[in-house]
Formats: sequence, C-alpha cells, structure tokens
Amino acid sequence: MTLRLGLGIFGMQSVPQRPDHHVKLYRDVLEDAEIAESLGFDSIWLSEHHFWFDGYCPADVAVAGAILGRTARLGVGTAVMLLPMHSVQKVADDAVTIGRLGEGRLSLGVALGYRDAEFDGFGVRRKDRGKLMDVALPRLADACAAAIPPVPLYVGVATAVAAQRAGRLGLPLFADSTMNPLELVEMLAAYNAAAGAAGVGAPRHHALQRDVFVTDDRERDWAMLLPELRYMRRQYGGWSLPQEDGEGIPAYLERLDADIEVKLKNLIIGDEASVAERLREFEALGFDLIVCRSQFGNLPRESLHRTFAGLGRVREAVSQ
Amino acid sequence: MRLGLGPIDLHDATRDSLISLASQAASSSFDAVWVAESRADGAGGGLAAAALLAQVVPIRVGAVVDLGLYHPLHLAEDIAVADLTSQGRVEVILRMATAAQRDLLEEHLEVLALALSGAHIKWTGKHLRVPAGIEANQPTPSRLALNPRPAQPVVPIWIESTEAWMEEPARRLGFGVAARWGPDARVPEPTGRWPGLLLCPTDVEAESLLGAAGDRAGYFVVAAPNPHEAAAVGRRLAGPLRMPEFPDWINADTFT
Repeated sequence: MTLRLGLGIFGMQSVPQRPDHHVKLYRDVLEDAEIAESLGFDSIWLSEHHFWFDGYCPADVAVAGAILGRTARLGVGTAVMLLPMHSVQKVADDAVTIGRLGEGRLSLGVALGYRDAEFDGFGVRRKDRGKLMDVALPRLADACAAAIPPVPLYVGVATAVAAQRAGRLGLPLFADSTMNPLELVEMLAAYNAAAGAAGVGAPRHHALQRDVFVTDDRERDWAMLLPELRYMRRQYGGWSLPQEDGEGIPAYLERLDADIEVKLKNLIIGDEASVAERLREFEALGFDLIVCRSQFGNLPRESLHRTFAGLGRVREAVSQ
Repeated sequence: MRLGLGPIDLHDATRDSLISLASQAASSSFDAVWVAESRADGAGGGLAAAALLAQVVPIRVGAVVDLGLYHPLHLAEDIAVADLTSQGRVEVILRMATAAQRDLLEEHLEVLALALSGAHIKWTGKHLRVPAGIEANQPTPSRLALNPRPAQPVVPIWIESTEAWMEEPARRLGFGVAARWGPDARVPEPTGRWPGLLLCPTDVEAESLLGAAGDRAGYFVVAAPNPHEAAAVGRRLAGPLRMPEFPDWINADTFT
C-alpha cells in the first residue's frame, strides 16, 4: 500500500474574519489546484453546503469540471456531496459524464448531511435521510461502477452506523476529520463486521480527512490559525446545535465552544517530520488516502501556499 | 449578430474531442462554444462541462441543460458556480423535460428566476414549496437565498421553445427564447436585451441566417461535427454576420 495525500477540503467561503468576493475565491481554488498538481498531490477535494451566509460551495461537480479543465493529472473529489438532498439520477448522470471528460480523475464522496435548513430548502425531511441514503447509495454505486472509466465512490462517515451502511455495500469509507484514532478503529471494526455479515468483499483501504498544518514556526502560525479554526468549528458545530429560543449569544458561543478543544486535538500541526509520522499512524490503520485540510476558512494566500509546500515535502516522504 | 459553435453532444464526447472543437471555435472567431447534456440518455453535467471548457478557451461557454428533472435550486447553484469558475462567461439554454407537466415546468422556471435574481425566496406552489417548512426539520428558515451568486449580474438564459406556451413565461421572467432551424425559421423576438437564439445545422448559409433575423439581432448556434467543419463554419459565417455587405473577395482569397 502506498499512502497518497490529497489537498482539501475547499469550500470557497467568504468568511467573516477575512471576506473575499466569490469571483476571487473560485479563481484562488483553481490556482490552488495547479499548485497541488505541481507538488505531486494525488488529488484535491471539494466540500458542499447550501444556503449559508458565507457562500459555502453548493455545487462541487461544477467546480470539479473547472479543475479538470485547468489540470492534466490531478484527481478531483467531492468531500462530501450530501446525497439525500440530491436527485440520485442527476448525481449519477453528472458523475458519469464528468468522469469521462476527466478521463478517470473524478471521485465522489457522499454522505448524509445534517443541517435541517438545507434539507428544508430542498423539501426533504431530515429524518428521512437514512432511508433516502439506503435507496440512493446502491443506485449510485451501480452507476459509478458501470461508468467508463469507473468513478471511485466513497461513503463519508462520522459514526459506526454510517460505516455499517457502507460495509453492507462494500464501498470504501471517507472518514470525517473529527474522529480520533480510537473511534476510527471502532468504526472500521463495525464496517468490517457489517461487510462480513452481508457476504461482501469489502475494500481494505479507505480515505480519511485530517486537519493538517505544516509549519516551521508553530507559535506564529497558531496565532493566525486560531480564529479560522474557531470559526470553522463554530460553524459546523452550530449546524448541529442551533441557537435555542431565548439563548443569548455569549451563552450560545460558550455551548458551541464546549467541545472545541476536543475537536482541535485532532489537528495535526508541526514540522514536516512530525506531520509525516502522525500521518503514517493512520496508514497503519488502513487508510491509503489522507485528504489534508489546511484551508480552514480563507487563510492568507502566502501562508496557505507555505503550508502546501511543506505538505508537498511530507507527501514525498510518506509515499516512499 | 452573435455566433456560437455547438451544442456539442456530451453523450459520447471525450475530453480530446471537446477541447479540440472548443479550441477551434476560439480560433475561428465564434463568440461562444456550447455543450448539451441529454439526461434522457444518461448524459448530465452540462454546466460542469462548460466550466471545464472555460478553463481551456477564452470565449464564452454555454450549456444546454434539462429543466424539470431535479430541484431548480440545484440548477441555480450549478449555474452560479459554473459562472464563478469561468469568471462570468456562462450562458444557458433550458430544455424542458418532455415527460414533465407544464405547471411543474413553469414552477421550476419561476423558482430558478427568483433564485438567480438574488431575492430572498419564499415560494409556495402546487409542486414546490421553498423553503418547505417541514415541521420535522427544526429550525427551518422562513426564506432562503442562492449563495454564492453568479459572477454576472444577469446570466444569459434562453428557453428552447418547443411549444407555444413556453414563450410567455420566458418573456415574463426575463429569459430569452431559442428555437430550432427549419425551412421557414425566424429568429425569435428578443426579450429585453437578449436576442432570439436559433440552433442551426452545419450547412446553414449566412444569407439564410440574415433573412431569418430580418431587422433584428440574432444569436446563431451552429453545429459542427469536427474542428475542420468548425473552421469552415466560422470562415463562412463570422464576417457576414458581423458587418452588412460583406465583401466576397475576403473569403475568396486564402492569403497564402
């Protein structure tokens, strides 16, 4: 097994701490894809959310098309598309066609989604997402497998239940960045048990998302990263834990920040050698693709490109 | 007058065939290159394919997309993002799904137009309710909006009119009207500043196109099966469409 590194996940958000026009943010992600290709990364990964004030990217495959036009070798993936909100036929038709035009460089990661407002925008009951996924995932898997060239399909997971669904279908996992190594081991055990019970020959290698920042000056970069990380975690946390009626902003932020320290413990930050060592630990668990998120909001371009370059050297080290 | 190449059928297109045709379009003075999805045949991704081409050629990129087969907010999002990645060069033709009912298609047009307008949407119709306000979803917004918005203030969108009723919602909602070339084809009436659009076969002549336009502007999207034919179409049509009384000697000389 060779460990591959991808860059991501990119949401092209105009974040409050560093707003930008989306014309620039989409120009930037195309530039970042070129840099990723020049540094030898396996792939670049795009994230999807809908109806959010910072303009979080809602249409990953359209961006993927642009990146496939701009680059010649780099893989492009969705991490993750929120499948129950989509017409599965649309997703399949898009993936088969763009996979062909990308000459096999497109991958799909799909997951349930969790934000009620997004489901409501598309007229879907959030509570139905599991049932919808049970119907959509096998159809999409069949379409992706039959495509010429095939479109690799990953199932985004943050829980054992979601991993069991993927296991029953023998589809590889795309594990969420919030899971720690112990949770990953338990999740893989649940996955393998479900695959075994279903009599499915499940893949042994999976993808994993990690928040990773390569730096030669941890103190300097931590001060820069903290507002970005805090915004990111509050945003994702807030989607799961909406503000309650009558709850003041200080109390709400305190509630959101309650588990931030735990979530940030999964962040891998350090010099190239230490980051490489940490990533190899995940390879040992069964992950052959690690998508490294260094863009947590809208970091200064120079800082972002410095960590990309460092991560490029990590890639060389771990792929040997 | 404007001249586009295509639409290139995405059903069997390869990256090489798409890029070679698009590159020839740019080299042959076309204003735009168009692709066409056909979801009835399993070919989707029209806007993603247009976004791909926008990274390869400097001209405008168009996508013929099917309407009525999936939620119009997803279509609005695809349009916005393709327009952003192309830095504001996207154009769209909406083709109505033949299996869909008229009232459903009209609702999809309404919601698409609302979303692309930047409005904070609250829509209640027979087929669509946006936001849905499903009690089990909590909290639900009272309104929502398309975000990010397209790069262009108004993305040029035409409706391919295959039935008489389609022109009324097109004009009311600010979409242009497109039609297919035929023996007595006329360029559809303009909508605001969008000229009528005609989808034309490869062998169409400039004189016929000018006759179809009459005193109006026209946008002619002309098919070509390969780069050689695309070059021939561009050479035959670009000059005469852009300036009246085109001198015949210009195309008679090879300048070699």
